[in-house]
Amino acid sequence: MEVGRSIGNNCMATITKEDILKISRMSHIKIHDDEIESLIDRLGEVLNYAARVQEIAVDVVLSPSKNINVLRDDVAIKFDAQLIVACAPESEEHYFVVPAILESNK
Amino acid sequence: MNNLAFATIKELRTKLVNKEISAQELAAFFTKRFEQHDTKIQSALEVFGADSVLASSEQQGVLQGIPGLIKDNISQKGRALTCSSNILKGFKATYDATAIVRLKQEGALLLGRANMDEFAMGSSGETSAYQTSKNPWDVTRVPGGSSSGSAAAVAAGLVPWALGTDTGGSVRQPAAFCNLVGSKPTYGLVSRYGIVAYGSSLDQIGVMTRTVYDNALVLSVIAGHDPRDSSSLAVQKKDYTQSLDGTIPAGLRIGVVDNALYADGMDPEVVSAIEQAIKVLEQLGATIKRIKLPALDYSAATYFIISRAEAASNLARFDGVRYGMRDKKSSSLSDMYFNTRHDGFGTEVKSRILIGNYVLSAGYADAYYENAKKVRHMMTKNFLDMYKDVDLLVMPTAPCAAFKFGAFAQHKLQMDLQDYFTCAANLTGMPAVAVPCGMTSTQLPVGFQLYGPHLSEELIFKVAHAYEQKTAWHTMHANV
Repeated sequence: MEVGRSIGNNCMATITKEDILKISRMSHIKIHDDEIESLIDRLGEVLNYAARVQEIAVDVVLSPSKNINVLRDDVAIKFDAQLIVACAPESEEHYFVVPAILESNK
Repeated sequence: MNNLAFATIKELRTKLVNKEISAQELAAFFTKRFEQHDTKIQSALEVFGADSVLASSEQQGVLQGIPGLIKDNISQKGRALTCSSNILKGFKATYDATAIVRLKQEGALLLGRANMDEFAMGSSGETSAYQTSKNPWDVTRVPGGSSSGSAAAVAAGLVPWALGTDTGGSVRQPAAFCNLVGSKPTYGLVSRYGIVAYGSSLDQIGVMTRTVYDNALVLSVIAGHDPRDSSSLAVQKKDYTQSLDGTIPAGLRIGVVDNALYADGMDPEVVSAIEQAIKVLEQLGATIKRIKLPALDYSAATYFIISRAEAASNLARFDGVRYGMRDKKSSSLSDMYFNTRHDGFGTEVKSRILIGNYVLSAGYADAYYENAKKVRHMMTKNFLDMYKDVDLLVMPTAPCAAFKFGAFAQHKLQMDLQDYFTCAANLTGMPAVAVPCGMTSTQLPVGFQLYGPHLSEELIFKVAHAYEQKTAWHTMHANV
């Protein structure tokens, strides 16, 4: 049972291991070696299917967005920051505590 | 008291007003239903203590005393909020979503948190990091997703209503799988303030009930302008139950999208049930026009690109810094980000983030994301043109009835294509409602969709209600 196979395939470039590693770095998600193959397959099949937007997007001109920014008065509201900081895995006073940006060389 | 389990909101309100039953008794009754049946159905991640539920309701209003379940990506102040993900384990919401505020103001009893696909990414409930919800009609089958727990709880008579969210079909498809009415409002009709964002230009809170009247009632409570949501439409609140009189407007024209109903891969029993529904609509006085929507063939592709791109952006915030899970073994900030997000997100969520960033990245954004935006714009125009000749559309909701667990484990694209008939409503921002219309030969529910132009909820509900009153599907209940 496969819905919607009526459009022919328009294969984009095949997804490679390098693509996965590059995109995962961009996404800040660690990928282990044994996860790469299945991600290549998964991304490949979705992107191959999605590539069909190229076929129909020809000659479509996007008009400028009708969206307007919704404004409100710039008024400071008091709220208890501790409520927010308390959600953090680690916090100190009103700071979120995180590991150092650079690893220690000790 | 057993006939309360599948009572409608309307019936329960009558009993409450006539003092046949109290809010306390209803809270106790439905909490007990969860205790008795949810070990099997697994719809709720958490059922709250009845005392705290009653204390947080304002004990007045059109939903006074009526229990419901809330999908776990909608903030309820002081309650856990996990989106069925490990990365939000232990996180508690610090404020109420606008929809929650409005429900509490109208006296609703918010009984608990409904299970879902992780971060609303899925069409079966199988990507939840915590538990797998079952379809009460056949517990070897999925209830649909991503609002799986919401659907399962209402279909099992554990609550008469539940909220879900619908980004590509996640309220309507589970509704169709579970013999429920599932509505996705016009984009901007219901505030997104307090929903954990998946696809911000697509997300809407949706309502799941066993009848059209109940659905219209709950939507009336949560809909309407919210200054906290900049995408909220400047529309006043409306009572969508007012026009439900069992008739349809004279001269109503309904377009049946034939290239949807007869698409490759449609289950013949689903097609047959929908053709029967079309006959009923004709008997009610509608003029039926068989039409084709060529843009439909591209809607899923467009949806995949836009939703994954927006998800990649929205889920960047989950990095272990300010909330939720953190990989405590990492000694550098960078490692902490990478490991937290690897360990905290499930496979499907990670795949979608990667796809999203890919279609936005240099060298690919033009081919994918920019083109997807163009197709979206074109589709919206096609729909608007089409609504000059018809008032509403009939579409299938899903190509099949509820499938077995694991059916798409090796065919993930086919799972993605469960969104095929539903995502056009999200892309165009138009409303759509799934309505029960039959059973397969193995007693699995089938639902069809009514699509309408922007802000046509009143008309859709009117027609859906008239159809429902001419049929008996809404009186059938799962054996729970």
